[in-house]
Formats: sequence, C-alpha cells, structure tokens
Amino acid sequence: MQLAASKARPGGPPGTRRGLPFKINRRKLTETLTAYTFLAPYLFVLIVFTLIAIVTALTLSFFYVDFGFTTPIFYGFRNYLNIWYDLTHDGDFAVGLRNCVEYTIGVVTLQTILALFLALLLNQKVRGRGFFRTVFYLPAMTSSVAISLIFYWLYQPQGGINYVLSLLHIQGPAWLENPSTALLAIMLLNIWTTAPTFMLMYLAALQDIPSTLYEAARVDGANSWQMLWKITVPLLRPTTFAVVALGSIGAFQMFDQAFVMEGASGAPLRSTLTAAMVIYDTAFQKSLMGLACAQAFVLFIIIFAVTLLQKRYIDVNIQY
Amino acid sequence: MSTIGSVARVEKAHLPSVAVSMRRRPPLPLSPSRLLLYVVLVGYGLFSLAPFLFAFSSSFKTYAQVLSWPPSLLPNPATLDNYRFILSGAQLFPRYILNSIIYAGAVTVLNVLLASMAGYAFGRMEFPGKNFFYLLTLAVLMIPSQLILIPKFLVAYTLHLTDNYGGLIVPAMVTPTSVFLMTQFLKTLPRELEEAALIDGCSRFRAFWQIIFPLVRPAVTVVALLSFQGAWNEFLWPLIVMSHQENYTLTVGLAFFKGNYVTQYNLVLAGAMISIAPLVIIFFIFQRYFIQGLSTSGLAGR
Repeated sequence: MQLAASKARPGGPPGTRRGLPFKINRRKLTETLTAYTFLAPYLFVLIVFTLIAIVTALTLSFFYVDFGFTTPIFYGFRNYLNIWYDLTHDGDFAVGLRNCVEYTIGVVTLQTILALFLALLLNQKVRGRGFFRTVFYLPAMTSSVAISLIFYWLYQPQGGINYVLSLLHIQGPAWLENPSTALLAIMLLNIWTTAPTFMLMYLAALQDIPSTLYEAARVDGANSWQMLWKITVPLLRPTTFAVVALGSIGAFQMFDQAFVMEGASGAPLRSTLTAAMVIYDTAFQKSLMGLACAQAFVLFIIIFAVTLLQKRYIDVNIQY
Repeated sequence: MSTIGSVARVEKAHLPSVAVSMRRRPPLPLSPSRLLLYVVLVGYGLFSLAPFLFAFSSSFKTYAQVLSWPPSLLPNPATLDNYRFILSGAQLFPRYILNSIIYAGAVTVLNVLLASMAGYAFGRMEFPGKNFFYLLTLAVLMIPSQLILIPKFLVAYTLHLTDNYGGLIVPAMVTPTSVFLMTQFLKTLPRELEEAALIDGCSRFRAFWQIIFPLVRPAVTVVALLSFQGAWNEFLWPLIVMSHQENYTLTVGLAFFKGNYVTQYNLVLAGAMISIAPLVIIFFIFQRYFIQGLSTSGLAGR
C-alpha cells in the first residue's frame, strides 16, 4: 500500500523510495523469485546436462570407469599417459587428431572463402536474391545423415560425380575406397553443406556496412577491387573471426559424415577416422568411459587453444 | 548534377519508343559483368540443387537402373516399389518416423515455451545472478558438444533417461541457443509495453503470457524452426542414448539401414528422401523468417 502511495506522488524526489529499503527489498525479492521461476527449466537443463556433465567429465578422466559393471577405480594420470602413449605411437587417437587437423584446415579455409564469395555475389543488386539465397541454403538445412547417404551413392566409382568427370574426360578415382581421396571427398561434401550458413552471416554483416563509405571511396576515385580490399574485407573482420572460429569448432568434431559413409573404423586405412569417432569407440564400444573423457578433454583443450584468439572477437560481436 | 539531369532528360525523350519495357522494373543494364554474375549465381544454384534432384529422381528407379552406366537422369520405368518396401512394416521405418516426429515435435514446443520464459527473465527483468547465468549461456555456446557427450550420457543413465523418449527430449528441451535468440529479441521490445500493466498490479506471469508472448512471433518462428531442424537431423545423441531398434530415430535408422543394404542405392535414396522431405517443405514455407532470423541472430553456425 505504502509503496503504491509513494508511486502515486508525482512530485516525490527519487530519494524517497531509496529511503525505504525494506519495501524495496521485498519487491526485489518477489522479482528475483519470479525471474528464477521463469528460468527454472532452463537452469535445470544447463546445470544438470552441462555444468554437472563438465565436472563429471573432468573427474572421470582420472578414473578407470568400466560403464555399469564395476565401481570406478582412481587411476591418477594413467588415462592421460595412455593418450600420450597413443599420440607418440601412431595410435587411433593420434591418427584421428591428425585427420581432424587436416580436415579442419581444408574445410575452414575453403568454406570461408566460398561463403564470402557467395555473400558478395548476393549483396549485388540482383533480381531474385531471395530465391538464390534459399536455393543456396538448401544443403545446409538437410540432415547430415541423409546428405551422407546421397553422397555415398554419388561418390561410387560408377556414380554421378565420376560420370560428370567423365564428360570432361577425367577418370575419377574410387573416392571412398582410396585412402588418399576419402577424407578429401568428405571435406568437399562438408564445404558444400556448411558454406551457405556462413554466407548468411557474411550477408548480414555486409548489409551493416554503411553505403556512405563506398560513396566516399568512389568520389576519391577508388575502383571496386580497391573498395573490396580496403573497405569490405577489413570491416568484415569480426565476422570472419566468428566464421573461422565456429567453423573450426564444428569441423574438429566431425562425426556423422565419416561414420555413415565409411563406418565406425574410419575406413580405408583409418584415413577418415576422426577424434570424435575414437572417443565414441573408446566409450561405447570398448566401454572405457574414463579414457574417453580424458580424450574428450584433450580434444577440448586443442579446440579451445585454436579458437582462443577468435573467441575474443566473437564475444565483441555478441552484444549484451 | 547537371549532367545526370540532362542524361535523365535525354532518356525521357526516348520514352515513347521503349514504353513497353519501361513499364516493368527499372531497366537492367546487362553489361558483360552482370551477365557473368547471373551465370555464376545460376551455376551455383544448380550445384546446390543437382544432388537432391538427381537423388530424388533416382529414388524411383529400379535396382538394375540405379546401377546402370551411364546413369540416366530420369527413372524409366518409374516405380514406387522402393518407398513401398521402406514404408512396409517389416523395416520399422514407420516407427522411426513416428519417433522422430515425437522427438522433434516435443523439442520444438518445449523450446519455444521454455526459452521465451528464460529470455523474458534475461531480457526484461533485473535480479541478482542475471549477468552470471547469461554469460554462462554465452560461454556454453562455445563448448564443443564432444566434451560433455559421455557424462551427459551417464547423467541420463542415472536419471533413467536412456532408451526412452525422455532421454532424447529432456536434455534438448531448452537449449542455450534458443535462450540466446529469445533474449536478444525480447530485449529489443520497448520497456513501456508491460510497464503500465505492472504498475497497475499485473503479475509478471500475466504480463509475460498476455502482453509479451503474443509479440514474440518472429523469434518464436526462428526458435521453432531451428529446434525442429536440430532434433530432426540429430544423429550422435540418439545413436548413443537409444539401444533398442524400435526406439531409433529416422537418422539412426537410416544409418543402420544403409549398413544392411549397402549397394541397394535405390532403397537407400528413398530412405534419405523420406528424411529430407519434411524439412524441405517446412523450409520453403517459412524460409523468409528462417533466413532473416538466422542472419540477424548472427549465430547461424549453431
């Protein structure tokens, strides 16, 4: 009541309300309780399935956990030593990480260039821009499993891709059976599916660049090539960092495509084995949960180190 | 200035002779560079569409035809046998489809509701701990899902959420991405909207439900589509959490189906089409909201 009265007093100095700490606290308390009621389901999921999960992952990486059969045994750094041995003796995890690095460098470089190129094209005054944007985006929204099945068929020695190559008088390889082309085949497929997503990010950023900058440059006699390199590309830097960082995080974790097209072992000759596939195998086939958690943590550290610099720029981008 | 004006006047003088073309849009100067632009755009468009179109047409081919060399663009004869085989009860595909619909449907509805609630608290209320939990949300967006995959499974196992719908739905019922999108949108709505109502004694819950929720339709569309797409396409989590075959989602079922019918591409392609079709239809209906939402959120990569 009293609170309402103080509100109703139009000429009252703002200090009046601050003079009644008890009332304000009660209002604040209601507000806080209401806010946490709104947040309750989200915080439940966040805490249980993310925060507790992260702590568990770290803890388990120091244990021997044979899922569901025995109680965990404290293992010290043995899981990590195990990984070190694997890394220095060309084990599966070493091969998986090496493939991931190769894959990430290839995919991120090419998809970033392609995304920027497509965005620059669509940023021109073209008829049917919405139509092209929709068509370009189609590969990005379909399921990775369905796309992998389609390309599993297209990449066959007698498949559609080699047929197109044969029209150009090129003898296509047995893409998925040859260790030197299998990972490349998955790279090309993934560039095709993820570049459109990043194209949208670039397109949004391009539309934020004030046109006055280009007008001023044109007055100064700059040609479009100079404007691209002196205005567009530098101003897109925050977006480029976001595209590169998000692209790297995604590429490092590649699983679906290689698993569906080449099977759990990363055939041929482990050439498509990824770190994620090794972790899956360690945890759910070999039932070594502790070791798998340690492997996941090593992968996380690598991804974190790779994206550490870019992360800063992404955080700048996100306005809070 | 004067030169531009005079050029315009000269063009106007010629108007009657080109009146037919002038009645349409402003004339496009089809210079060689513009022509090249359209050639590249159409070319990349074909490049994006061709695998889908070719796979779609081949899903109506017979086994002999799908293996023939050179491959034919159109099925001859066209047959529905592949779809009939897949959708017959023997293959469990109807069950996979049902599982995926329940999973994706529940995740969509729950994300819209729960993320808009969380977004309302983050975007329009003041309370201690707000900054901490919102920054945590942003940080979680950057965490690779591989890191928490195994403990997430162990948590689900402890809560008896493995091999049932709960295991699929509960961890995904409100994602940090949805909360982030909703918060960003709700922050942009003017504060005056519910202020008057609150002063008149309206509760926060009523203000949210009757004033704000009806206004968040653009964000709801994006969150709904992203949630549906994410759940419908998810592969690794259902693969881990579901163990009985009748509990597989469409993606997991498809991957195992491919393992059993390796070279029967006609069947595999028909299965892939069944997985792609609902998303393509939804996407073409809602594409405008979808792409606008993705572009403005600046977080399209998730």
